[in-house]
Amino acid sequence: MLPRVRGALAFGQRPLPYLFILPGVAFYLIFTIYPVLRQAEMSFQHWQPVPGTPTPFVGLSNYARALHDPVVRTAAINSLLYTLVTVPTQMLLGLAAANLLHRRLPGRWIWRTLIYLPVVTSWVIASYVFAYLFNTDEGLVNAVLSALAGHAVTIDWLQNTWTSFAVIWLLAVWKGIGWSMVMFLAGLTALDRSVVESGQVDGARGWRLWWHIILPGIRPTTIFVFVMLVIGSLQAFLSIFLLTSGGPYNSTQVLLTYTYQVAFSFFDFGYAAALATMLGVALFLLSAAEIRLLRERKAA
Amino acid sequence: MGNTRKRLRWVAPGVVLGIGSLVLSACGSSSPAQSTGSSSAPVVLQFWNTYNQTDTEASTIAKVVIPAFEKSHPGIKVVSDVYPTTETEMYSKLLASINAGDPPDIVRADISWVPGLAQEGALVPLSKDMSDFSSLSASVYPGTLAPNEWQGVYYGLPVDTNTQCLFWNKADFQAADLSGPPTTMSQLLSDAQKLTDPAKKQWGLGVDGTDLWNLLPYVWSAGGQVTNSSYTTASGYLDGTASVGELTALGNLFSNGEIGSDILGGTGVLTGEEGFPTGKYAMYIDGPWAVSTFSGGKPSLTYNKQYGIAQMPAGPGGSVSVIGGEDIVVPSGSKHAAAAEEFVQYMLSPTVQQEMAAAGQMSVLKDAGSFETKLQAYYAPFAEQLAQAQARPPVPNYAKIDSDVSNAISAALHHQGTMQQELDAVTPQVNQLLSGS
Repeated sequence: MLPRVRGALAFGQRPLPYLFILPGVAFYLIFTIYPVLRQAEMSFQHWQPVPGTPTPFVGLSNYARALHDPVVRTAAINSLLYTLVTVPTQMLLGLAAANLLHRRLPGRWIWRTLIYLPVVTSWVIASYVFAYLFNTDEGLVNAVLSALAGHAVTIDWLQNTWTSFAVIWLLAVWKGIGWSMVMFLAGLTALDRSVVESGQVDGARGWRLWWHIILPGIRPTTIFVFVMLVIGSLQAFLSIFLLTSGGPYNSTQVLLTYTYQVAFSFFDFGYAAALATMLGVALFLLSAAEIRLLRERKAA
Repeated sequence: MGNTRKRLRWVAPGVVLGIGSLVLSACGSSSPAQSTGSSSAPVVLQFWNTYNQTDTEASTIAKVVIPAFEKSHPGIKVVSDVYPTTETEMYSKLLASINAGDPPDIVRADISWVPGLAQEGALVPLSKDMSDFSSLSASVYPGTLAPNEWQGVYYGLPVDTNTQCLFWNKADFQAADLSGPPTTMSQLLSDAQKLTDPAKKQWGLGVDGTDLWNLLPYVWSAGGQVTNSSYTTASGYLDGTASVGELTALGNLFSNGEIGSDILGGTGVLTGEEGFPTGKYAMYIDGPWAVSTFSGGKPSLTYNKQYGIAQMPAGPGGSVSVIGGEDIVVPSGSKHAAAAEEFVQYMLSPTVQQEMAAAGQMSVLKDAGSFETKLQAYYAPFAEQLAQAQARPPVPNYAKIDSDVSNAISAALHHQGTMQQELDAVTPQVNQLLSGS
């Protein structure tokens, strides 16, 4: 911990640091805090975009409406499902890749690059590539399945609920493994080798070594990866928006795609603001709980 | 060194504040055209549109239509801002600009936007503001004018129009021993069955989704409706026998594999515009733009040789199609409303309408037939169909109604319920939206 210098940062004596951070703070206040507060205000209004048009205060009615909206229920379940499927899968596969590539394998940097490449690929490009792969009539996947089956296979991947989910989840996992791998690689590299070696001397091998030595050793990394992936998964938007737009019949909507549709297709801004605020509050509480968990673990 | 550090302590904040004030002043400045305020400076009109940039629409506007206007209206300049993406994207940007108090001066708006924008007070009431509105409105097809009206006032004028007709593939028809396109709705259904050939991966009919734009021609021709004529209720119309019967018949064709999975919408399926030129869809309804799309993808494909364009088959409701197209409106926050109205008037002149018809935009003028069919032979069936085409419900909540009905039909196609059950369930929602809540 850095020693605290009493009065060293008092504005009157040392204005320079404050003035240097001023643009950043101003930017943050204008482009993050103000929109968040404005959105919260809009969520209590029947908000109209035209200046001068009355935007009546409607109390909690936008929130009450959300609680009775069947699409919100579907979207919330789908968001949770997305998290439940993609987060553990990314973590497991990321850890497995990190474990393999932590060793001195020939050409491991090539493998690391290949696995990390999807992370830096744009969501838009990746989504369009997946849309092509799973195209009913001209897609590679149906072509391969047709070749294997010996007859034409025409699965409407993106027109049915569960096949759409499969494609969306696959894209999320494919795109996310690399990030988990890099985080776990850092965790494994930082692990005290002497502890691992002591365990090995004491006879720990295989899963015992992992369960009792390595996993507890990389617990902060694991919790950090978990927290970030959960937050990211609940904010999933682009892939679903581009692959299914929430269809068919709203069955693949997640909270953000539905909020976007309410705002920018139905132009029901007050209701969309309420949905966004609810999601924001839920994410804030979830993140706070996870960070608290992380701190408790560290303290333990 | 110490002096330098001391000096830096006060110079640096000055630099920071200087840069900050420069940034802020740059953000706050307006464009030269707006800030001069001089009477000699030209008025600059911002014209937002979605004219197609892949063919000659946008270039005709920029290189022919606007220069001619500027020549005949010295002191007025027009800047065409083309939004090459989707109309929905332009609509959200338009709302943002209206909210910021800095909207464009003229917008070529989809016909379904006008009631919603008018209800919000975002548009200049042209029927009150333009002295020559009566003569202009009398010169256009009445069906194209209707979507501009909201509570007895007209907030826009139609600038181009279109409708959908039945495209039919001559080779597919010949192979199925059919002499020509269906003329009745029942014949359309039976022909779709005959034209389907799973071995060739050929469907009798292509339908590009469950939204109202794609399905209303079938529903209306079969005698169905979505709402009553005053747009106050959907009960007895959307869930009525004729609407449900026709949509059930289309659903059965889909279940039997006689309509392709493009009816389910979304990405990753063979759309009509891809499937019709290759003969995968023997029949398909689409607008006049499809002709250039088809020939762009397959230059050998020619109207009246490889395919024909027929009127919507007639049912108990007649041969009815849906009116599409765009209106031209002036946002109420425009700083140059009078000049914008002059441009609106100009866009409806026979000269401009003829130029744009040559670029692929059908004219809204009643007497357009005299020049249109000379320009493009394929305009003839569309011009004929326009006489029997109807507008989609011109109500502020149209987008939400369209989405809800489309989802209900999609759910029925996915066997979540029967068509009757799904439409029964969605009708109260539509009624609520029609009431404005």
